[in-house]
Amino acid sequence: MDLNYLRRLLRIFDESTATELSIEEEGVTIAMSKTNGAPAGMVAPTYMMNAPQPMMAAPAAAPAAAPAAAPAAPAAPAADDGHKLLSPIVGTFYRAPSPDADAFVQVGQRVNVGDTLCIVEAMKLMNEIESDAAGTVVKILVENGQPVEYNQPMFIIKPD
Amino acid sequence: MIKKLLIANRGEIALRIIRAAKELGIKTVAVYSEADRASLHVRFADEAVCVGPAQGKLSYLNIPSLIAAADVTNADAIHPGYGFLAENATFAEICHDCNLTFVGPSPDSIVRMGNKSIAKDTMRAAGVPVVPGSDGIVTTIEDARRIAEEVGYPLMIKAVAGGGGKGMRYVETPSELDRAYATARGEAEASFGNGDIYIEKFIEEPRHIEIQVFADSFGNVVHLNERECSIQRRHQKLIEEAPSPIMTPELRAAMGAASIKGASSVNYVGAGTIEYLVDKHRNFYFMEMNTRIQVEHPVTEQSANVDLIKEQLLVASGEKLTLTQRDPVLHSIECRINAEDPYHDFRPSPGKIESLNFPGGPGVRVDSHIYQGYSIPPYYDSMVAKLITFAQTRNEAIAKMRRALDEFIIEGIHTTIPFHRKMMDNPDFIAGTFDTKYLDTHDWKA
Repeated sequence: MDLNYLRRLLRIFDESTATELSIEEEGVTIAMSKTNGAPAGMVAPTYMMNAPQPMMAAPAAAPAAAPAAAPAAPAAPAADDGHKLLSPIVGTFYRAPSPDADAFVQVGQRVNVGDTLCIVEAMKLMNEIESDAAGTVVKILVENGQPVEYNQPMFIIKPD
Repeated sequence: MIKKLLIANRGEIALRIIRAAKELGIKTVAVYSEADRASLHVRFADEAVCVGPAQGKLSYLNIPSLIAAADVTNADAIHPGYGFLAENATFAEICHDCNLTFVGPSPDSIVRMGNKSIAKDTMRAAGVPVVPGSDGIVTTIEDARRIAEEVGYPLMIKAVAGGGGKGMRYVETPSELDRAYATARGEAEASFGNGDIYIEKFIEEPRHIEIQVFADSFGNVVHLNERECSIQRRHQKLIEEAPSPIMTPELRAAMGAASIKGASSVNYVGAGTIEYLVDKHRNFYFMEMNTRIQVEHPVTEQSANVDLIKEQLLVASGEKLTLTQRDPVLHSIECRINAEDPYHDFRPSPGKIESLNFPGGPGVRVDSHIYQGYSIPPYYDSMVAKLITFAQTRNEAIAKMRRALDEFIIEGIHTTIPFHRKMMDNPDFIAGTFDTKYLDTHDWKA
């Protein structure tokens, strides 16, 4: 098992949003897993802690791959600076008031407090979500038609 | 068959439901409050949706949020667990209106059994024995004497608007009745501004024994025997077991038959429990019906060898009942482990679990959502685990529970493990001689 290959694999895995990876090659299995942003220290239920086989079967046993020992850095993209507008409800995110209408806002657009930025639809009820900050929209974090949960960040606004 | 199930609950029961669903090939959606982000049920579900902040009212009791979560995940069924919205008829109704299968009985059943007075009338009409008493308030001493004759002595005079023991009188013989009637009325009037009283038979040495019933949507109803739940503190069950140490085949048959009649009379569907008070003469009296799965369902599962949650999902999917009545084959005991300090009046002890070891070995089952490093949120109930043992005999089940409690290590918080350990050495518990007043009248530490 080539150590450089392993290092490259680990770096790719670390930088990706994947939380589990398993590769079998020439009779050797490499299995990796990491917490996906859960608080550091969250450990799998105790009955798994005494499992005799190591998570990685490769002979070079790179320590960084042991998932329970070192919590991996969360794989979420680097948080942008700015004010995050969070969804107050569970529902489906829509950029525009209707399928053929223009989006409420675009990236780069300036918005005031109270401007409608999007719709979150729940059970056929269209809820207009208003901006709670004045500034410029720098990022839109959710794709049109995607579900959002309570307090999920939807927009990043750079305050004036 | 249900394809995707949203579990509208948290903690150990959410995990229990996810396990049953997985075994049936049903996809699972967990919902969680912000305080439960690191919860185990979130980890093991196929999908998870944050439905609100920590407060129950805004998350686990937030009907629009729960329905929206089912909507965005395309779930086709909701299991309400126990507590929270499990016996909320409005929620069941809304699920129906939104084309979501509610894993539980109809809204009508929930309403009828939820109101204690209606439930009692319904059961009485179905021929189920209820606590004998006056039909409503007693307004004259002549009526009181007549009813007392019918009900029999000893009896209780209780204030309709009562509470805290006020306006209550225990009457042992007919000669005490007139004075008790007058003073109870007077006290009730003085304490609550309402002197109305009613009369109920006094249940001697009451034991809380409940019958598990199960029904499908084709009218098939069975019972799955009893659970003894008399070890309670402030009306909260702490230790349950199946079968009851005082049960006889005749009593089980009678209570089972009554329970089936009661459930049938409201066209009940799904899992339900009918709770009774059983006196020292083995007379049983209907108390109330719980139209949901109960916390202590594992002792029925282990003693009768059934899976009640899987059956709930099958019945809710429109399948015919697969369960049949069978006598208990094993004895099972459950200890509810709470994050409370039993040496300081059981005060809550939330915090982080620094060190954890679950017991294991033959005859031991642990239903729990905790893990090492988990911080127990202070917003919800304090139960952290259910420790269940099962064996051929009651004594063996107790011996296993002793052994398992000794292996159960939870550090970082106080738990009621020491209380349960003491109870497993308690001679009255071992002898099976206890009633619902036991913990009120005995010091468990002695």
